[in-house]
Amino acid sequence: MADPHAATAAMDPLEPVPLIIGQYTDATLTQSLFGHVWAKPTKGWLIMFALSLMGTGILGISVVITLGWGIGTWGNTIPMGWAWGIVNFVWWVGIGHAGTLISAILFLFQQKWRTAINRFAEAMTIFAVMCAGLFPALHTGRPWFDYFLFPYPSDTLLWPQFKSPLTWDVFAVSTYFTVSLLFWYLGLIPDFAALRDASTNKARRLVYGMLSLGWRGSGRHWNDYKSAYLLLAGLATPLVLSVHTIVSFDFAVSLLPGWHTTIFPPYFVAGAVFSGFAMVVTWLVPARQFCGLKHVITLRHLENMNKIIMLTGMLVAYGYMMEHFIAWYSGNVPEWDQFYDRATGNFRAIYWTMMFCNVVLPQVYWFKKARTSIPIMFVVSILVNVGMWSERFVIFVISLHHSFLPSMFKDYVPTLVDVGLLVGTIGMFSMLMLLFLKFFPAIAVSEVKELNHELAHAHVRPEANPRQSGA
Amino acid sequence: MSDSRFPLPVLGDEKSSASVEPEVVSAPQSEATTVPDHGYHKSYWRSLEQKLNPEKYKSLNAREFPPNYFDVPKGVDRREFIGLLGASMALAGLTACSEKPVEPILAYTKNPEHMVVGDPLHYATAWSLRGVGTGLLVTAREGRPVKVEGNPEHPVNKGSTGAYDQALTISLYDPKRGQHVRRTASATKPGDIVTASWRTLREQLVTQGAEWAKDGGEGLRFLMEPSSSPSGGDLREKVLKRFPKAKFYAHAQLNHDNAIQGAELAFGTALHPSYALEDADVVVALDADLLEPLPENLGATRGWGERRSELSKLNRVYAIESRLSITGASADQRLRLKPSEIEGFARALLAELGGSVAGLNGLSAQPGRTLSDTEQKWVKAIARDLAGKPSRSLVAVGETQPPVVHAIAYAINSALGNVGTTLQLHPVLTHEKYSSVGTWYPELKEDVDAGKVKALVITAWNPVYASPFDLDVAGLIKKVPLSIYLGSHDDETAKVATWYLPAQHTLETWGDTRAVDGTASIIQPLIRPLFDGQSEHDLLSAFLDAPEQTAYDRLRAFWSGKVGLGFDAKWETWLSTGLIDGQTVPAQRPALNARGLSQALATAPAQGSGVELAFVPDYRVFDGRFANVTWLQEMPDPITKLTWDNAAMMSPGMAKKLGVDRESVIAISVNGQTLEAPVLPVPGYADDFIALPVGYGRELFPSGLPLGGVLGNPVNGGTGFNAYALQTSAALGFVSGAQVKAAGKTYDLALTQDHWTMEGREVSFSQTLAEFKKEPAVEESRGPLPTLLAPVVYEGYQWAMGVDTNRCTGCSACVVACVAENNIPVVGKHQIHRFNREMHWMRIDRYFAGDENEPEVINQPMMCQHCEAAPCEYVCPVNATTTSDEGLNEMVYNRCIGTRYCSNNCPYKVRRFNYLHWNGEKPALEQMAMNPDVTVRARGVMEKCTYCVQRIERTRIKARTEGRPIKEGEIVTACQQACPTHAISFGTLSDQNSETLAWHKDERRYDVLHELNTRPRTAYLMRVTNPNPELA
Amino acid sequence: METAIVPRNWIVAEFPTPAGLLEAAQTLREGGLTDIDTHTPYPLHGAEKFLGLKRSRVPLIALIGGIVGGVSGLVMQWWMNGYDWPLNIGNRPPFSAPAAIPITFECTVLFAALSIFFGTLALSGFPRPYHPAFDAEEFRSHSTHGFWLSIALPEGSDAQNASGKVSELGASLVKVVQEQVE
Repeated sequence: MADPHAATAAMDPLEPVPLIIGQYTDATLTQSLFGHVWAKPTKGWLIMFALSLMGTGILGISVVITLGWGIGTWGNTIPMGWAWGIVNFVWWVGIGHAGTLISAILFLFQQKWRTAINRFAEAMTIFAVMCAGLFPALHTGRPWFDYFLFPYPSDTLLWPQFKSPLTWDVFAVSTYFTVSLLFWYLGLIPDFAALRDASTNKARRLVYGMLSLGWRGSGRHWNDYKSAYLLLAGLATPLVLSVHTIVSFDFAVSLLPGWHTTIFPPYFVAGAVFSGFAMVVTWLVPARQFCGLKHVITLRHLENMNKIIMLTGMLVAYGYMMEHFIAWYSGNVPEWDQFYDRATGNFRAIYWTMMFCNVVLPQVYWFKKARTSIPIMFVVSILVNVGMWSERFVIFVISLHHSFLPSMFKDYVPTLVDVGLLVGTIGMFSMLMLLFLKFFPAIAVSEVKELNHELAHAHVRPEANPRQSGA
Repeated sequence: MSDSRFPLPVLGDEKSSASVEPEVVSAPQSEATTVPDHGYHKSYWRSLEQKLNPEKYKSLNAREFPPNYFDVPKGVDRREFIGLLGASMALAGLTACSEKPVEPILAYTKNPEHMVVGDPLHYATAWSLRGVGTGLLVTAREGRPVKVEGNPEHPVNKGSTGAYDQALTISLYDPKRGQHVRRTASATKPGDIVTASWRTLREQLVTQGAEWAKDGGEGLRFLMEPSSSPSGGDLREKVLKRFPKAKFYAHAQLNHDNAIQGAELAFGTALHPSYALEDADVVVALDADLLEPLPENLGATRGWGERRSELSKLNRVYAIESRLSITGASADQRLRLKPSEIEGFARALLAELGGSVAGLNGLSAQPGRTLSDTEQKWVKAIARDLAGKPSRSLVAVGETQPPVVHAIAYAINSALGNVGTTLQLHPVLTHEKYSSVGTWYPELKEDVDAGKVKALVITAWNPVYASPFDLDVAGLIKKVPLSIYLGSHDDETAKVATWYLPAQHTLETWGDTRAVDGTASIIQPLIRPLFDGQSEHDLLSAFLDAPEQTAYDRLRAFWSGKVGLGFDAKWETWLSTGLIDGQTVPAQRPALNARGLSQALATAPAQGSGVELAFVPDYRVFDGRFANVTWLQEMPDPITKLTWDNAAMMSPGMAKKLGVDRESVIAISVNGQTLEAPVLPVPGYADDFIALPVGYGRELFPSGLPLGGVLGNPVNGGTGFNAYALQTSAALGFVSGAQVKAAGKTYDLALTQDHWTMEGREVSFSQTLAEFKKEPAVEESRGPLPTLLAPVVYEGYQWAMGVDTNRCTGCSACVVACVAENNIPVVGKHQIHRFNREMHWMRIDRYFAGDENEPEVINQPMMCQHCEAAPCEYVCPVNATTTSDEGLNEMVYNRCIGTRYCSNNCPYKVRRFNYLHWNGEKPALEQMAMNPDVTVRARGVMEKCTYCVQRIERTRIKARTEGRPIKEGEIVTACQQACPTHAISFGTLSDQNSETLAWHKDERRYDVLHELNTRPRTAYLMRVTNPNPELA
Repeated sequence: METAIVPRNWIVAEFPTPAGLLEAAQTLREGGLTDIDTHTPYPLHGAEKFLGLKRSRVPLIALIGGIVGGVSGLVMQWWMNGYDWPLNIGNRPPFSAPAAIPITFECTVLFAALSIFFGTLALSGFPRPYHPAFDAEEFRSHSTHGFWLSIALPEGSDAQNASGKVSELGASLVKVVQEQVE
């Protein structure tokens, strides 16, 4: 670790490498963490923002076309009733999972290193789920009747059909979004208060004041707040697992070869975490650079992330293995044809991309050099998400293209609108992330201070700290 | 119909268009400038505006079609785009509102006779193709003919139809039909065109008629569509009486001439063959497509079907053919020979039989070539088989084979005593015996060049287009000072004629026609002429020295003349039954004219060399006359599953040799002509042989096709290429010595089925009789499977279907019938080629098995299986598809939000999705073909086969009012009704003696994808063939 | 609840260390002052002990919310598909328990989460834009780095003497603010 501050790092006795680099009082920490909020937007930020706006524009156009002329403007066919759109949906939902996982599960496991990145990851969750939500809403033939999906008393006296995995989806995704939002906002309240009090001009004070709901760090409030936070984390944990499980039901519950697979739930969840963490890394690398957060988001954070990426990557690989094994072992002709076709058929390129990005690539993280090299992790994290997109394409599209009746083996080619929607959602996602990084406390300030406090306490006791550092 | 521009027809006699001065409302007719009011002038005013303010009204309604209707849609224009931008910024709900425009409609003020609003009326009528008539039963809704079915009373078709008949309604409502009488100032300057009126022409003819009569009509020539109409024949006689020197010719590019000439060779008299396959145990088809659903074949097809229904009655069909026809596909054994090799084979067969069969030994027939071992084996085996079945066998020959081959077949048949039993020979019923171009062109050309011809009347379908390239028909017509063309479309011929008259559609006109066996039917109109069209009779009668008569009067006059007393009563019966009694002609049993035949056999057969081309009729557009019928264009070819185009079809081996593949373009040169065409390799074709379906390469574009997305699709691409451009008058059927090379281009072909094999899956079954007897392949594929959920018990009706793949020829009449019955939209080539979005509720999966040169073909009609444990239902989030208490799998359109999950989870993939607003761009005229009993589906809604639930409900209402249960066979689905071989049955399983139940219990029964335990209500009967063990 | 009719005096005092703050809070509370509260940028360990707070009621609220959600979710599915309008959906039973699990679970989580969030806000009396303590400009450091104590003095007690007592306990800064009552 070639880090100048290493010597004077605030140490956690149990941790070999610093979580917060340098010596900070609460005041200075506040300063450093809010620095980028007060600062004028940098050129880099502006350029990025312009690009993301363009992407969002493309999204707008694609949506208008879709609503104006119908789903026929997508590449979907018979039998490819679901294609690109649903691939994007599942991809985005998957990405969302990292946030909840980091903030909830790691919180329950008392992983100190989570505090610096959880706020950031939660924000990502919210935005990713927003992007994901677009697709199910748009992909119906008559989006203006989407409200049929909700149980409301209608003049037709009809109710939704609760045996359909799609209905489950509606509940799962909307619940997931709501809970993530509450969890995120609850965490933000003290930091909004901090922003309110740290801000110099009236307007900011007013806005942040409203957002902070009048928080004043009262001991009484902290008392309820802590248990609320803990409980929400406790709820979010099974929730995040359930969401992708239920998304996987959309396919596992059907009878298509390549869809009707019992291993889907765990395998989808693993895949979701896999791509989610990759996306976090993709964003952390530039963010810590441009927002001057290197001292709280250290290489150790990134390294831990990479370890998890490798782990989940191997879980996904196991999923692939089992799928193929069962397809062969079951002796079910269409099932085996399906997997044979994936590897050798028209779409084999996508299949092998998936295999490389999701199975081979993460193995580089066996080496600490790779785990701690910024360029490597940046590239890998991007490729992992390419791989995960391909995985969804392989599962959804190829299964439909090669199902039961040979007379209905048909090919699929996306249209510009399809591509526009993917590019567009990426644009919108980036835009929201950039706005968040600029105007919101990107780091859970109060939690970091608490951590800093604990660490400080940790190292006033000399015996606890082998490397004596100036108090 | 929200905006029916067309008044109600009141069947009966009305003065024809131009004859009466218009009353209050409609525009004066003879002005060239005004748009004629569709040719009738009773003041049917549509609204008070029209009544009170005709001028303003006219300006509003001057156009037949919406403005820019004929323009090719071009992507999105800016305003439209901005508009949409705004719209979608607003609540998406607004989009929904735009679905249902508010359009005031008016109720009947005076109810026509018999008419109960909302109830269909059925009229018996008929139509004829190439002069061969077939009886129809047409359903009219509020005065619009919406569905064509066969007339069950008709002795030949017994209620069945082919695809062409089924598509009659949409061809009636074809917006591209010729609509206005047109006169070219002079044939030399075809440029300046004047709209004129039928009246002007008629006056001209009357005046000039007097002139022509002076020299006995020396300069009058008539080129007619082949016709067997009795009243038409009478008209011609009258015309000839007035103009003794006038000449009548007939023209049809695809014709029966060879068969008739063959009969002349064999028997010395011209006879027309038809086949009774129900009595034939052994059938040998020499390049003959016996099962092609043409009017003359429908009887034979039904007979064949009867023989495939029960294993005990199984017949044996040998097909010796060059291309893979539906007959070959349904045959028990197939031998592929080039067209030119058929004659040699036939001669060898004759010689072989000469040994055993008395009556043939006199004839010596040299094949003219050495037959291959396989051929010899076949000849021997077939000969033995035939000889073993005297009077119960049949040798049939295809239209394109030379007369001598037909003669040989006649000889064999008569020697075997088949004439009169399996082979019916009738005198030629068309007024002109022959109709191929060779029989009239030389003579006419001579006269024209000699300047003899003053006037040429053409009612034959588009001779300029449908004629070999080496005859300059267009030039011929141009040379004639006065040429009058009566045709359905303003087409190639119309362009060169000095006068163009729109022809009345067969559903608009009064007339009569005769079937192969002479059965005569009255053609009665279902609707008043939509445009100012005339019938052939109207035109001919203008040449008579008699006051103008309406077609109706003329027809009645003619028949009452024939019948005399009690005519009116008879007339009523004729119209209601659709049959004129006592017109059938007995089948003849002529003696074999051995001398004439042996003379014909003396000349050695012509030998083909190099690549051979055959000009074959297309299963969709026939000779090109149906090129603008969208339903037929979108109907997949029974064998290749090709839509919207034709292609150069050849054996896979040949394609390999040429180094070309599907969709790569080849240049075919023969007779100094070159034609570029896309390749479509098809199993079972003879090598060094290319089949070119005729009838394509027209400049017409079918209309009313959806935009198909905003990415700037063409309205519709495919029009194929014109095979006539390679055809010479010397060789209309096939020609050899063609040069073929790859053109290094590609051309998109829209196929609805890409994978042609079953990929080793047990999807549909086929066995030989012997194999089946030993161990039926379907044992595993039927009967209950273990399940956790107790099956729902159904009381009352349990609708179910049976499909017999052994009877299905794949002719696809059912597919078009389904389109007509269920308002199924046409999506166009681009949507099919690029997105596989064809909307057919019913498709016919065609699988090839075995060797690519000797393929076994299985047709598997595939429509919603109405599973009792339907996978589509439990995945629908909004309860839009459920099982009814009679076991129907029902689709609730207005509940459907279009998640398409049901389609994904349907293992049969029979659900169809409205990806775009297919019905949005439908012109008002095409909307008239809509069946009001069936919902027109909006954009974004899933749809599928309903077992024709609207027919079930109509029958239920009828039964209820009569207080009785629904009878067996009372409900007939559209597909079942159309099927010429009765390969589909429908009924309730609750009725112990229902045919469908019997099929469900049949030993050949199986369920498709039985292992999924979806418990389909549609059962399939496997294919069991009866090949000759000697050739196995 | 804290806004009374009569304006009360408040003392806000900043302490250099969290420990000092907590001890001060305890002594004052034992000294009989009830309305004592700490204001810190992050929760202090054991604050509830020093302030003598009871166990938080949030878990109970969550439990109730969860139960209500779960039950209503399950009943909704049974009533709508199984009772109000049962349909033959591909030969499946109109209401089947296994298929009801996902939605029941989701409803449980949703209701629980909502009741936790809004329950917490309610317990803390949020949103509440105004608090007397905010009148002291220095108090703003409470959310960034300061450790503050706030005392709402009872009626008629002497602000001067109270603030003196507070500074004796080691407060680095003591201010008296008067509650504003509209």
